[in-house]
Amino acid sequence: MEGLRNDGRRWNELRRIHCQLSTSSTNADGSSYIEQGFTKVLCNVTGPAEPSSRQKVKQDAATVSCEVYFAAFSGTDRIKRGRNDKKVQELQTAIQKTFSSVILTHLFSRSEITISIHILSQDGGTLAACINATTLALIDAGIPLKDYVCACTSAQSTSIFDNEGTTPDPWLDVNYLEESDIPSLTVATVGDSEKIVALSMENKVRIEMLEGMIAVGISGCGKVRGIMDEEVRRHGKARLEAAME
Amino acid sequence: MPIQIIAPAPFVTADDEGDDEGGVRLDFDNDGDIAMDGDAPRRAAGRQAGGIVTPGEVVTEDPQWMRGHGTYLSQPLSGGSQSIISSLAGTISKTNKLLSIRALKFRYVPEIGDLVVGRILEVQTKRWRVDIAAPHSATLLLSSINLPGGILRKRTSTDELQIRTFFSEGDLLVAEVQTLSNDGLASLHTRSLKYGKLRNGVFMTIDAGMVRRMKSHVLTMNTSNGGGEVDIYLGVNGYIYIAKHTTPLTESGGPEGKSVSITRLEEEASEAIYSNVNEDISPETRAEIARIACVIGALARNGVKVDEEMVHLGYEAALEEFLQGMEWGGDGEAGKRVVDAALAKRREG
Repeated sequence: MEGLRNDGRRWNELRRIHCQLSTSSTNADGSSYIEQGFTKVLCNVTGPAEPSSRQKVKQDAATVSCEVYFAAFSGTDRIKRGRNDKKVQELQTAIQKTFSSVILTHLFSRSEITISIHILSQDGGTLAACINATTLALIDAGIPLKDYVCACTSAQSTSIFDNEGTTPDPWLDVNYLEESDIPSLTVATVGDSEKIVALSMENKVRIEMLEGMIAVGISGCGKVRGIMDEEVRRHGKARLEAAME
Repeated sequence: MPIQIIAPAPFVTADDEGDDEGGVRLDFDNDGDIAMDGDAPRRAAGRQAGGIVTPGEVVTEDPQWMRGHGTYLSQPLSGGSQSIISSLAGTISKTNKLLSIRALKFRYVPEIGDLVVGRILEVQTKRWRVDIAAPHSATLLLSSINLPGGILRKRTSTDELQIRTFFSEGDLLVAEVQTLSNDGLASLHTRSLKYGKLRNGVFMTIDAGMVRRMKSHVLTMNTSNGGGEVDIYLGVNGYIYIAKHTTPLTESGGPEGKSVSITRLEEEASEAIYSNVNEDISPETRAEIARIACVIGALARNGVKVDEEMVHLGYEAALEEFLQGMEWGGDGEAGKRVVDAALAKRREG
């Protein structure tokens, strides 16, 4: 059909987002689970707690550390990714940097906030799903944040060329097929403002297309924030009602 | 015109997303930026949601309020006014002119006088480091424990060398927060017969906020099915220890109630107080300890604050339903049923 993507969505349509808070009953302080399409991510947050090593002690702020684990069965091929895998390290650094700037770390001197992420299924937008899951887990743990950090992907379809020289619409929230096919980027914003805290792109794209892609990504982030906020409120309301009993 | 983003399919109703013509094309304004609609609708919606604020939500723009915990000030606008923004998901609490946000779930913050259950992390020369589920581990000084041999005994260097005979790594203890330093580090003490090493039982954790502060945090319960008496140490920090009831004096100091001089009492008590050996615990007692643990877990998991009344009611409910397959930690359907039954009992009075 004309104008539809391979999974039947329009250019500006998000995949189904399902999220949950307090999913884990272990000793994690906060936990969350998010599904964006077929990308599924589980996140646990512990902290602020005593730092696990001396190097991690900062005198005036909390240290944020991040561990990412790919389930071997999460992708199309069965791949075991170890601790030193380049992709794992890259994700860890990206998430750690992103959240260090958004968590109000100065409130918890000499302590550590540990984010641990398990990627259960990958279908495009892994980094985005990880960031969204982390935001929810941090909120669940009661760790002060400036605002939600919401992430979304967008891609520029280069296959369709327009005779009039106008660029075609960028695609929002890519799946695995699109991600491996056309250049895409991940953008994370603070709340639904236009403040970008993370931007990652691994392909080449014509410079005049970049702005459109970022703009679509940012708008997507705003929508994602709304969906996550709805879930947080629903969860909070349920918790309050139980406490009222 | 802003970019329109179509929400994921299951949430979209036919009429709420407007045009079905494939969305709106990008519209660039003069400086090449894309115009966005403001965040006004979200904030308005937040206000109506009944008490809950979420991170990034403007709590008030009125300069008369002072900001408290869980909030921060926005960047000053051109007029110099700043709004108070929430940094947590929780409820607003107002104390005079102070606005603070109470998170739905939070880590334990020690306060003087709190009864806490802790675990020894590290043994140092004259002190222990104790995990009490707070952002920082607490310290327990050698001078703030009851040494064997009575209250009048002087602390010697031999005690320092034998520090591991009192508490070693991994030991559980119940203590009271004695002092707090400026940066919130807690120092504990166990200088009372009520406090000290824990044994003969099971350790469990719940969220710190789920323990209601009470007059006494040590409960003794008479259990059914031949379980005998069971002690429950409800640490304010969310650490809980449930143990077989023991009277430390019965071993050598005779039956309870028999008058023992106060110094003698200390001596007798201290013999057994640092023992690492569990007593014999009958299978019946074990079963009841496990049942109580499940009840407490279920209460906390279902958002009901744990206090003496609720533990009793929950335990009764668990007995009545004689539940099979109640899961450890109180997850699952069975836990929910017990909590509902307990709440119903409380409403009946």
